[in-house]
Amino acid sequence: MIELAPNHKYGLAIDVPLMPASGAFGYGDAYGDLVDISGLGAIVTNPISLQPRQATQGRRIAVHEDSFVVHTGWPNPGARRVIRDYGATWERLTVPVIVHLLANHTSEVARAAALFSAVPNVRAIELGFTAAASRKRAVELVTAAAVEGDLPVIAQIPFDRVDDLAPYLARQGVDALTLTAPPRAVLPVDENGEDPGVARFGRGRLYGRALFPLLLNTLSRWAVKLPVPVIACGGIASPDDALACLTLGAAAVQVDALLWRDPSLLDRIARALAKPRAAYPAVTHLLSPNEPETEENV
Amino acid sequence: MDQAPEAGEFMLADLGGPVREALFPSTPVGDGFDTVVPPGHGATRLLPGATVDMLGPLGRGFRLAPTGYPIARLLLIAGAESLPLLGPLFQAAPSVVLVVEAATRAQLPPPNRFPPTVELTLVTRDGSAGYLGPLEAEGAAPAGLERAHTRLVELVAWAERICVAHDPSRYPALAALVKRVRLQPHADLAQAIVRVPMPCGAGVCDVCRVATPRGERRACVDGPVFDLLDFLPE
Repeated sequence: MIELAPNHKYGLAIDVPLMPASGAFGYGDAYGDLVDISGLGAIVTNPISLQPRQATQGRRIAVHEDSFVVHTGWPNPGARRVIRDYGATWERLTVPVIVHLLANHTSEVARAAALFSAVPNVRAIELGFTAAASRKRAVELVTAAAVEGDLPVIAQIPFDRVDDLAPYLARQGVDALTLTAPPRAVLPVDENGEDPGVARFGRGRLYGRALFPLLLNTLSRWAVKLPVPVIACGGIASPDDALACLTLGAAAVQVDALLWRDPSLLDRIARALAKPRAAYPAVTHLLSPNEPETEENV
Repeated sequence: MDQAPEAGEFMLADLGGPVREALFPSTPVGDGFDTVVPPGHGATRLLPGATVDMLGPLGRGFRLAPTGYPIARLLLIAGAESLPLLGPLFQAAPSVVLVVEAATRAQLPPPNRFPPTVELTLVTRDGSAGYLGPLEAEGAAPAGLERAHTRLVELVAWAERICVAHDPSRYPALAALVKRVRLQPHADLAQAIVRVPMPCGAGVCDVCRVATPRGERRACVDGPVFDLLDFLPE
């Protein structure tokens, strides 16, 4: 049993340190028989706002080599409709549901958190911030979710704000941290031969294997220093990747959009994580987690 | 392959990229299917005999008729570049009329590509061959040319089912034409396929959202074949 919210009155205990990342798995039932949900530690919903949101117009994905960017605008039917459509499904699940809220306005987060706290088997709120959110704003949003929702609050930290936000929010009472949200990036669009010679680009959330070493770097620097559990997210594409994150101090891992290519990835990681800890492979890293970075050792 | 996709359904193929790519059937072949992909598509880099991991069949395909109630008159409407999406329907009814629209004559497919039972109606937007397009344009045609619209109205009135594969920006106008001709069209009388990237195939990623006057739909689970009248302007 892994406790992801040891400082919260209800806690957030999970059996397996594995869950799909927000935006990668829908609202719980999309993959049907392709994924054994009971083998996961929890599910994290797609991002949800209080009011319905529509998708962005135009191209929403750009694929280049081994990476891709996605820009959808996080369309969703709004908190009440999601509860109506999926509440019964969540209640039947044998694993906890973590609702991911889009954290834009304090009042909206508060109202949405209050709504979801009344839904059976919703056991935590994960907040996603905009990259521009100030520390003060982030704390206000976490506080709003915690006070109105009465559930453990996990903060998903923007990729380039870890040094700034993660230790600060941990000190301010967030229950756990997800490191990290996908970075923003621009990729050239592979047009399958259309308009040869004309470069086009897509901007959005970046996914791909290249994120994994960046995640390990973040974990090696922060996971054991932070006073709250850390959930690792970014480029995890194999059981060994997940084990490496746990070895570097993560309490659990989230699998992001890479599972779209291989939904069975979740089951394979779940099986690997079910083995006793002693069977985890040793991970060799060049820099110990507490060793300061210098020109010599970086 | 356990089950081949029907017309309008798709398979998600792992072609080595970071996301899967949709493959639509153009012709059923034994237990499998032929597919047509654009130049540069990941499938073009496959070597003969390569094994491809596929998920599917996925999506909501063309719905011709309930079992036991076969239709007799099927109208297919395609843009030249989308024509392969309708391939599995070429022999789906005793009487099939296929309307193919292209920008110019050179983009029209050769007639010998189709089964002899398919009645072809060719349309070019520059009038270089067949009827003069665009399909939904009314009005007088230049001397020596005949508007496709007149013929299309006849065919829409004649058909028991209408299946469309074209540029989705044309769907509102085509839906309006069907509504004008058939007055009280029943559900699924006219259906249209939308081809957009569908990286997850499970309704998760929201990349494939299609805007209609009746709200957003997800191509991978709500479609990719929709009721054409869903695109009817309100």
